[in-house]
Formats: sequence, C-alpha cells, structure tokens
Amino acid sequence: MRDSERAISIKNLTKYYSKLQALDNISLEIKRGDFFAFLGPNGAGKTTTINVLTGLSNFQRGEVKAFGYNTVSEYTRTRRLIGLCAQEFNFDPFLTIHQLLAYQAGYFGIPPKEASQRTDELLKRFQLIEKRNVKHRALSGGMKKRLLICRALIHDPEILILDEPTAGCDLELKFLIWDYLTQLNNEGKTIFLTTHYMEEAEKLCKTIGIINHGRIVRIGDKQEVLRDKSLEAVFLEVTGQE
Amino acid sequence: MINNPIGVLALSKREVVRFLSVASQTIFPPLMASVLFMYIFGVAIGARIDFSSTGLSYLGFIVPGLMTMHLISSSYENTTSSLFIARWHNHIQEVLLSPLSYFEMVLGLLAGGVARGVIVCLGVYGVSLFFTPLPIQHPFLLAFFIFTIAVIFSCGGMMGALWAEDFGMLSLWSIYIIIPLVMMGGVFHPMAILPEVIRGISRFNPLHYLINGMRYSITGFSDSSILICAFISLVLALGTFFATVYMFRVGYKLRT
Repeated sequence: MRDSERAISIKNLTKYYSKLQALDNISLEIKRGDFFAFLGPNGAGKTTTINVLTGLSNFQRGEVKAFGYNTVSEYTRTRRLIGLCAQEFNFDPFLTIHQLLAYQAGYFGIPPKEASQRTDELLKRFQLIEKRNVKHRALSGGMKKRLLICRALIHDPEILILDEPTAGCDLELKFLIWDYLTQLNNEGKTIFLTTHYMEEAEKLCKTIGIINHGRIVRIGDKQEVLRDKSLEAVFLEVTGQE
Repeated sequence: MINNPIGVLALSKREVVRFLSVASQTIFPPLMASVLFMYIFGVAIGARIDFSSTGLSYLGFIVPGLMTMHLISSSYENTTSSLFIARWHNHIQEVLLSPLSYFEMVLGLLAGGVARGVIVCLGVYGVSLFFTPLPIQHPFLLAFFIFTIAVIFSCGGMMGALWAEDFGMLSLWSIYIIIPLVMMGGVFHPMAILPEVIRGISRFNPLHYLINGMRYSITGFSDSSILICAFISLVLALGTFFATVYMFRVGYKLRT
C-alpha cells in the first residue's frame, strides 16, 4: 500500500560483499519532498545504499521501501518512483543522446511520441538540445553529467537519487546543477544526494545523514545535525577524522 | 505476464535496430558463407555424391542444415554480444533500473536474437533458391522449428553473456560446444553413413534433433521421429527461456 508521507524507508539493512560487511544494520526514513544529503568517507557505504535502493544490489537482511512499496517484492512499482543519476557515465555507446533518452522513456512505458517530446523538453532544459543527434562520446564531461540527470528524470520520478553529481564539475556547472536541483525540490521531488562537498550539502539540503564503516553515525534535520557548528566540523568529528 | 508492453517493445526495437544498423556485419556474412557452402559442397562436390537413398540431392540435403547452422549462430551471437557489451559498458543499468519485470527484460532482449536468426535463416533459404528449387513441405512446422531454435540459442547467448567475464570467455561456448555439436548434428551428412558407434553417440546430441526437425519441415526427410524432434525443441526452448529469466531474477552477475 502506498505511504504518501515516507518517500524512502530503510529498516535494519545489512549488506555483505562476500565476507566484507558494507552496511551494518542501517535504518533511515526520508519524508516526501525532502532534500536529503547522505555523507560519508570513501567506502563508507553511500553508493551501496543507493544500489540497494534502486535494485542494483542484493542485500542479506532488512527491508527497503519507496513510498511504502517494497523494493524487492514490488520492484516494478518502486523503479517507476525512482530516478538514479549514477556516478559513472554508463551510456549505450551506439545510440545518439536523443535515442538514448527516448528508449529509456520507452522502458518506463511512455509511448514513443510522448517519449520523443519529453526527451526534447529535457534536452532543452539542460541545454543539450543542439547535441540531440550526437553520441555521448562527443559530449564534454559537464554535458555528460547533465545527460545523466536527464536520464534520471526522463520518467518524471518522485524520488531523484544523485550519486556525487557535481564531482569533477567546474564552478559554473556546479551552480547550474545546484539551481536545477533546488528547482526540482521546489517542484516537489524528493532528493537523495551523496556528495563529498560539505558546502553543497549545507547549502542545498534539509536533512543530513552521515555514514561511516557501514553504520549511520548521525542523522537529522540540518539544524539538529549542525548545532552551530560547520558541517565539516561535525563530519570530521563523527567519522573520527579530526 | 506482460504489464509493460510499451517497455518490452522499446527494448525489442532497440535490439532489432542495433543489428539492422550494422547489417553488413550481422546479416550479409552468413548469407555469403552459405553461397560458398552451397557452391563448393552442393554444386562442385555434391554432384559427385550418390544421395539417392535419401530421395534428395546433396544440395537439397545440406540447405536445411545450413539454415539451421546460421539460425543458431546468428541468434546466439546477437544476444551474446548485445548483453555482454551492455554489461561491459555497464549500460545494462538502463534496463535494470527500469520497471520492466525480469520476464519482460528477457523477452525484450530475446527479440533481437530471434529476429536476426529468422532473417538470416530465411535469407539462406532465399539464396538456396538460386541453386536448387526446394519447396517447403511443412511450412507451419518449419515456423515452429525456426522460432524454437532461435529462442533456444538467443537464451543460450544471454546465459553465455552473463557467465563470461571477458571477451575470451565469451567465445568459449561457441567454439568448444556449439560448433562441434552443430557439425556433428547432421548439417552435412545423414546418420546412415556414420559408423555405428558414432551414430549411437549422435543420438545424444540435441542439435541432431533440431537440424532434423528443420530438414523434415522443408524436405519431408528426417533421420529421427519428427515428434521427438519437436518435443526436444520445445522443451529446450522453454527450459532455456525460464533459466534465463531465473538468472535475471537472482541477478546473476548483474547485481552485486
């Protein structure tokens, strides 16, 4: 049954890669319309959590839900609700960027005419329309980043998950992405963001979670987490990197 | 069973467009090879072989075998290369993140392999008409065998693509298992001319029944009971299909 209040609900999630424990009994809830920053050092478990949420990783214990739907037993429902902007550029090298997005829309059950229209709208919004007939290899790094976001948004998901979307971006692109994300959040989308840039999380997000060695070590509203400190100071304190 | 028909059609279209856009590498080479086989084995050498016991010319005998051989290789290669490259570049995530069920994902990927296999198979038959008239005796039975064989090897290709870790492993199944079984399955020879021991072993080669099913559908001649051929073909098609769906469901080498 749909839970219209809780966009993401994770309970006692445990995940092993062979004998290595990547996630240790983590639980978290993200409300609809929230802008959530998920922070942690490299290898802390951020991407693993995202992979579990999106169905790209199996897990051993726990329960993961999106708007009340179980991501394992009701995966065809939850995948419609989630859009993932991955860290790597994993595009089909044989397709033009328009074909790439239009096919992606098709997989989500969007009819071809509407898929093409929606693709053009997104390409315009992300200033890629002039490149619609080129393959992704011909795009600059910044354009590829934007294409990743377009792909995540093609089916108009209610939850947008971004795995380090501004890593390696220049300032101009970083600000552009921040504006897009703020706009999307204002439009009602729930955003789950991982980043290594503390100022990004501090500027954009409403709630913050910090994960270290597969365990959530701090979570709450931004004010609650910060308590008059800078996010960097809190991060270093709870991850033991002081 | 299909809740997202538009999604299945989109994936099918992508798979079909992919091989059609490189037809010079996917469609024409097997047709070219068939012309050479038909000319050298069928016309040049075949005219000197006495095949009266089968009621067929040698050329008439090998055409269904060649159709099957290329149907198998085209279906297999299509899904193998498509899925393996998608895993290699990690754009398989585009499909895995979509709301297609695992059944629908396999169906969509299968479409490319089946379509390429059918086009090549019928192309080989078309080419054969330049060499010898070969009216089809049982067209519905032929459609059944073409479809089931294409499904078996398209699914086999997907299983191979999931299993393989690199390009070297990708070709192992084809080189060491499929090609020997096809060659020993009766593409170029009837069972009757084999030594008794080899003939006995050949009865355990499933491809023997697929090739004979195709041959019976076209010429009316078969080394084995057509019912057994049809049964084996159907069981293998269903078995490989559901095995592939299972591999997708458990995320075999697809999910970490």
